[in-house]
Amino acid sequence: MKLLTHNLLTSHVKGVLRGYPLIIQANEVKVSNVDFNQSFVARMIPKLEWSALIQAADSLGHLSDLPQELISDYESNEDFLRKVHHVMLEVEVIEGTLKCPESGREFPIIRGIPNMLLHEEET
Amino acid sequence: MSSNHRNRFNDKERRRDMEKEASELERDHVHSVYEKIAPYFNDARYKAWPKVQEFLLAQEPGSLIADIGCGNGKYLHINSKAFKLGSDYCFPLAESARNRGYEIMVCDSLCLPYRNECFDAVLSIAVIHHLSMKERRIRAIKEMARILRVGGQIMIYVWAMEQKRRKFEKQDIFVPWSPAPPPLILSNNSAHAVKESMKHRHRKQTLNNQHLRNTASTLEMHKKGRRTYFLGDKETLDDSFEKSLRLNFFSRSLDSVLDRSSGGNQQSQHELGIFHKYSIQLNELSTEQLFEQNKPENFMRHIFTLFPSYSQHPDDDAVRPDAESRSLRPCSSTFRSSNAELRSDTEHPHCMEAIHECSKLSLPDLVSHHKGVAVRKQPKPSSLLKQTDFYEHLNKTRKDRSLQSPDNEYDLCVQNGQEVVNPQGACLRYYHVFRKGELVELIEQHIPELHVVQAYFDHANWCVIAEKVKVWTI
Repeated sequence: MKLLTHNLLTSHVKGVLRGYPLIIQANEVKVSNVDFNQSFVARMIPKLEWSALIQAADSLGHLSDLPQELISDYESNEDFLRKVHHVMLEVEVIEGTLKCPESGREFPIIRGIPNMLLHEEET
Repeated sequence: MSSNHRNRFNDKERRRDMEKEASELERDHVHSVYEKIAPYFNDARYKAWPKVQEFLLAQEPGSLIADIGCGNGKYLHINSKAFKLGSDYCFPLAESARNRGYEIMVCDSLCLPYRNECFDAVLSIAVIHHLSMKERRIRAIKEMARILRVGGQIMIYVWAMEQKRRKFEKQDIFVPWSPAPPPLILSNNSAHAVKESMKHRHRKQTLNNQHLRNTASTLEMHKKGRRTYFLGDKETLDDSFEKSLRLNFFSRSLDSVLDRSSGGNQQSQHELGIFHKYSIQLNELSTEQLFEQNKPENFMRHIFTLFPSYSQHPDDDAVRPDAESRSLRPCSSTFRSSNAELRSDTEHPHCMEAIHECSKLSLPDLVSHHKGVAVRKQPKPSSLLKQTDFYEHLNKTRKDRSLQSPDNEYDLCVQNGQEVVNPQGACLRYYHVFRKGELVELIEQHIPELHVVQAYFDHANWCVIAEKVKVWTI
């Protein structure tokens, strides 16, 4: 699970109002090389929940000096975009869990695949 | 409690029961089937449908695309400038997509684990037709609309009822799955052995099913054309036949049948015919077992439904398609009335139907061929036990049913669904095939935030491209 994916995920356990962002508890993290595409990253940034990305990266020890607040002129800032690229696409959680911040429900990540299925009584 | 209140309460209860049955049906006839058949998916030679590819390529660079029900990820390679996130209910399929390098998760299409309006495009190919209640189909589309940004587009493909080469009698059907046919890899020797074995059994064959003969002569004709080889003693199947099937089962990719049309090999066609009949036999045996144990009058309907229209079959000169359609006429009124929700048709309580098909066409994901074969190939120690459970359950539900008022067709449908299951656990996949216009209607009437941009027919599917619009609420 890449952190870009994590940025899109939320918990929909019945009764939960604030299921975002999920708390990552990682047992295995992999960092791989992904080709950098500056405009792709620049286009992706406004779609992100920035604080969730920072929080996730930080919890995995891969903050890469990214600021808590999104900078304004990032489109032309290659250094910054490379860091964002690294955090959202190259850092992957292979084994671990995603924890709903409100209910505490844990969703397992197995071989890189989050299992977000809910039990019948949770829907 | 006022009667109004009580009615509302009952409605709610009933709805919950239906929902439960629907989800059980989908668990047994969609989710667990995909779990079983996942290992046999092989889309290496699968060609993406051009219009789907076009849709994906039309998304801007830097788009976020969700492929809901992505299977093993056959569309996830398209458009390298977008970020694609696949999801599927079936873990083995998701894992095979993951192993090919795609970003995947496991989730339910009725409850997507994504935040609102975060995707630029959503893809739903061959998913909605696996949901067995109209409400659930609506909910699945609503969920996809929820995660789509305003201005973003969704593409939906569902299997069409109106197909050139498959004829569906009902909208709610079970489609048997089994692996690709073996003939293309059979050695001449084993094929010969199979034929010899078949001839031998043909000589031994007797027609002894009194129930069937007494009940429907048209059906009997039907059966004469088909029941030929090894009535009642399937345990003595020819070994080489078994082996050749097994070989096939583990060595052929599912979509290899796509090659059949181009192959055009006479010998293969002939052998295919033989295997075809073999699979019919397996199925008939199961049907008979059921029949012996249960003997309900209405079971005849299922026997009807379990007989295929193999009109393309080169060996099949005993029953012509038109003869078959006549024999099916008793059910055809259901055909007309089944276009509403399952439970809405109280006149014909049998709206589930198993169909056979043997065409090389467009199952959206893979091509099912020989029912029963899969079962033969995977004998599990627990299968006997399961079979017992199956009958117990069946008997129990029959008793239960007699206590209920017969107005809840949905219940009956689901139970009928269980009846048509091969007791050995054959893979019957549930589909709700869509009538022309049904998908558009569903969206227009129930999902105001989606505006249909395009609706068309493609590869035996009804297809819609819709755009999310801002809905102003006061």
